[in-house]
Amino acid sequence: MKAETTSLPPAGMQRLRRRRVAGIGDPILGWAVRILSVGALLAVVVMIVQTAVDASTLFRHVGPLQFLFGNRWEPSNTIYGALPFIYGTVVTSVLALIFAVPLSIGVALLIMEYLPRGVAGPVAVAVDLLAAVPSIVYGFWGILYLVPDPRPIEQAVAASPLGVIPIFAGPAPGPSYLVAALVLTIMILPIITAVSREAIAATPRLQREGIMALGATHWEQIRHVILPFARGGIFAGAVLGLSRAIGETIAVLFVIGNAPHLAASIFSPGYTLPSVIASEFREANQPFHIEALIALGVILFVLSFGVNLTARVIIGRFERRAGGADVR
Amino acid sequence: MSDSQLLRGTALRRRSFDRFISVLCLVAGVIALLPLAAVIAFLLIEGLKAWSPAFLVERPGSVVGPGGGAVHAIIGTFLMTGLALVIATPAALAVAVYVVEYRESRLAVVVRSAVDLLAGVPSIVVGIIVYALVVLTMKHFSGFAGSLALAIIMLPIIARTSEEMLKIVPRRLREGTMALGMARWRALGFVFIPTVASGILTGILLAVSRAIGETAPLLFTSLGSNFVQTDFSQPMSALPVYIFQNAINIGFPAAKERAWAGALTLVTIVLVLNLLGRWLASRAAVRGAN
Repeated sequence: MKAETTSLPPAGMQRLRRRRVAGIGDPILGWAVRILSVGALLAVVVMIVQTAVDASTLFRHVGPLQFLFGNRWEPSNTIYGALPFIYGTVVTSVLALIFAVPLSIGVALLIMEYLPRGVAGPVAVAVDLLAAVPSIVYGFWGILYLVPDPRPIEQAVAASPLGVIPIFAGPAPGPSYLVAALVLTIMILPIITAVSREAIAATPRLQREGIMALGATHWEQIRHVILPFARGGIFAGAVLGLSRAIGETIAVLFVIGNAPHLAASIFSPGYTLPSVIASEFREANQPFHIEALIALGVILFVLSFGVNLTARVIIGRFERRAGGADVR
Repeated sequence: MSDSQLLRGTALRRRSFDRFISVLCLVAGVIALLPLAAVIAFLLIEGLKAWSPAFLVERPGSVVGPGGGAVHAIIGTFLMTGLALVIATPAALAVAVYVVEYRESRLAVVVRSAVDLLAGVPSIVVGIIVYALVVLTMKHFSGFAGSLALAIIMLPIIARTSEEMLKIVPRRLREGTMALGMARWRALGFVFIPTVASGILTGILLAVSRAIGETAPLLFTSLGSNFVQTDFSQPMSALPVYIFQNAINIGFPAAKERAWAGALTLVTIVLVLNLLGRWLASRAAVRGAN
């Protein structure tokens, strides 16, 4: 009984005191982290609200629906319709996706399944580096080579019987939806490849070995084990690529021809949401011109937000399923 | 998949189809690497023709005339990216710590979602937002506005990498700090963050290499300038903006040359940063495995 009431030895006291100092450190850390995080959160909220408010002043001039579905964009006559840009953005990014997805799956399979390990690593890095090249460089390279070089092919297609179909109709002046889609393909390929690679790597070993033991060829292994497993991941990668393509500005600006109209032909020049903002923002001097461009920015934001949200939902579902099915 | 499906067809047909697919994948790889090879080849051929050490140190001349360097753009790029780094890194680290270490807080989930949302915002939209918030308020374009735009672009990249890194801090280490009765801030500052420091640094390097190449958000925040500018309250040039201004005057041979020289310089900087980041990451992975 007596022993319990004796005071602590000096060393124990010291330790207790140190713990009290630590007790001050933790709340400081907690609050600092909280304040900075909430600051970042507030910044995002302020950004969204401010932009929406700026854009909404446009609606004093033109109705929201009229703006969204108007197909004429003539700032000099203060006529603002967003449809040509929405159309251009959708056409170029969907085309890019159609080109990039099969290519990316091929590259991912090549790296993960076919190349020997010593070669696969460098190839994977090289593909990843495609994503690191700044978009201004792709734009500049595009206008010098990607606009003029495929032009004879475009013209040949437009002149052939295929040219009767509106989407292949001529003339093919050079800058076009197609060239923009090609540049975007190059830019989103590394993203889709990287995500697909991860998905392929996550395929359970047991099932891969199982089907090989049944005498399947490598392709049959891919077709019946790897692709079904990686499907979710590949899809998520494609959606991420799509969101990147929708927001790409400078590279597209250089190669799309900057024509604010609706054209069915993929050989026709066009315009996209980001590229019109980039090219007209600084010279915008007409009434409501800046507001209209900011409103285009809001449309762009909503588009890419929707795509990102879809990607998130798919990735979440895929992860859950992969987690449940992973037998190792 | 049924048995009959696998057994149908002769072995030869199955094997040749297998071969066909592998060739197809090889073709896809070649097509994918072709543009990279083309861009690098043209950069080296055209860029080296136009590039000289003088390009790095000379002041700019007129847009249409020959000669002139990009010292103003290089200084501007480093200043603006540097300030952006100073703004973005503490905030990003805080977000990562909050999300990982204060998982129980519901607010952490909201913050994380907001940062994820930020990662998906197109860079041109970031430019518009900073224009509306900063440029309109200050009534003129400025290097500060440019830095802010770049910081917003870097924040989610750094936050996400740091978050991933903090998550892979070994459980033993976590339990060790708890067993020692270490305070959270001590454990974080002296154990967790140093353990994954190279991973976090990789995230920072990748974010810098991304921000350094951005043109769109700078066009109407820092605007660009023809002078060597170190005052953040004034318009500043940056390498991407410099390339942009020369590239839109592609009709003038001198402007085209300057654009190539600028592109070569920019790509060199970006690729070096990127490869450095990857190298650090691979080293960190090896150390983590041991």
